[in-house]
Amino acid sequence: MLETILLFREAWYGALVIGLTCSVLGIWVVLRRIVFVGAALAQLSSAGIALALWAGGFALLAPFAHRPTAVSLVVTLLGALFFGLGGGRRLISSEAAIGVSYAVAAAMGILLIAKAATGEAHDIFLQGNILGITRRDTIVLLGVSLPVLVVHLLFYKEFLYVSFDPETARTVGYRVRSWNLLLYFTLGVVIASAMQFAGVLLVFGMLVLPAVTGLLLATSMRGAFAGAVVSALLAVTVGFALSVPFDLPSSPAIIAVAGVLVGLAWSVRRIRRGTA
Amino acid sequence: MRFDHVSVGYGHRPILTGLTFAIAEGDFLGMVGPNGSGKTTILRAILGTLQPVAGTVHRAAGLRFGYVPQRDQVDYGFPLTAVDVVLMGRYDRIGMGRRPTADDRARAVQALEQVGIGELAGKHLLDMSGGQRQRTLIARALVGEPNVLVLDEPTSGMDLVSTTQILGFVRDLHERSGLTVIMVSHALNEVANYVEQIALVVADGFRIGPVDEILSESVLREVYGIPVEVSAFGGHRVVIARRQPSA
Repeated sequence: MLETILLFREAWYGALVIGLTCSVLGIWVVLRRIVFVGAALAQLSSAGIALALWAGGFALLAPFAHRPTAVSLVVTLLGALFFGLGGGRRLISSEAAIGVSYAVAAAMGILLIAKAATGEAHDIFLQGNILGITRRDTIVLLGVSLPVLVVHLLFYKEFLYVSFDPETARTVGYRVRSWNLLLYFTLGVVIASAMQFAGVLLVFGMLVLPAVTGLLLATSMRGAFAGAVVSALLAVTVGFALSVPFDLPSSPAIIAVAGVLVGLAWSVRRIRRGTA
Repeated sequence: MRFDHVSVGYGHRPILTGLTFAIAEGDFLGMVGPNGSGKTTILRAILGTLQPVAGTVHRAAGLRFGYVPQRDQVDYGFPLTAVDVVLMGRYDRIGMGRRPTADDRARAVQALEQVGIGELAGKHLLDMSGGQRQRTLIARALVGEPNVLVLDEPTSGMDLVSTTQILGFVRDLHERSGLTVIMVSHALNEVANYVEQIALVVADGFRIGPVDEILSESVLREVYGIPVEVSAFGGHRVVIARRQPSA
């Protein structure tokens, strides 16, 4: 197991950064019940990559093909802005808006890739390939993740108040919409930066599963964050180590381990409540 | 605080118009009306979280609200203890990006003691009864050292014992500290024996005044549009709607 990890250590480091950052943000995603916003943003990010690759087929738009991450970031942040401002809930329900965004983004991603200049060879951008992460990629991921984590550390209590009880927060002068937008903005940035390496499944899974594990085990917010981070790092490490010798795709292996950890946490919670 | 020909509503559509009234320092006002009548909309205008469609709301300088939301407005799935929740009432005083100090925590525990549940400081919200949760939310409002306490349906969904305890506690608090209190409720009988002023909010009417003036059969008949009887049992007022012949 150790040899496998050391052999692909650059990829492992990158996956750990993705796991760490997604699990921290995932606590808010799960507590605020916006799990499918995470899925929709991941899918929008994927569609952004596809859009950049498709644009490469046109001479005028060719520069975009060399910057898929930048295009993906713009598309994801537009999505984050849309959801952060309420997701068109005056006209349709938030759930419906998320569903529409998810389905349309998924379809657009597939259609644009199908018509991209180099066709399905670019599927790798949509599926992600964590084994291909290099030292430079990890540094880029850290460059995005560290400022986001600092923002979340610094404004923890503000995010907590506007997530737990926005109406009361508003009465003491909190600009709830601005804080929501900041939260969605950091979510969009992390998803867009992780997507090109990890793909929709791993990013969405890392946003949700470790956070659920942390919240099942925790008796405090601090405990929930700690539990989420530990379970994400464990899932990445064990999933990674098992995927190579057993010739399994890495991302689903990591998610499967994260799923097992959710199951264990759920059992622990049940036992704990039964004996309380 | 004074409402001067205020219309309240959402967007440009007013729900209630021509609201002119004042809330003086030290008042205990009960705002009563059926669900959907616009009580919460007026409350939001009082709190300043909703701008009036027309008219002006004048607030005294330095006015600070302690808001107690409806219990189902907060999410009990968060892994928070009572003291964690009460600490939120200090957040705006602590300042952006800064951590609560030991003094903030001590004040939070004191606020829980003030509402009679100091021993539950470490208990999780999820494991609390409705009455305990309500007291926790009142403690959060008090720890911010407000000069106006605003409660939105504080006894909604509670049993008789918890209702009586919560209303009695708020009344005692008002009498002991002179704190201005605004309490919204859909239950006239619950509020009638605790407040000093009543505002009746109905679909197309608003009436405000001292309890004795508002709780008269003629006023209630005029506002609600049905015959009403006001009685007294053991020093408590009871409002009874007379049975109507079926249509």
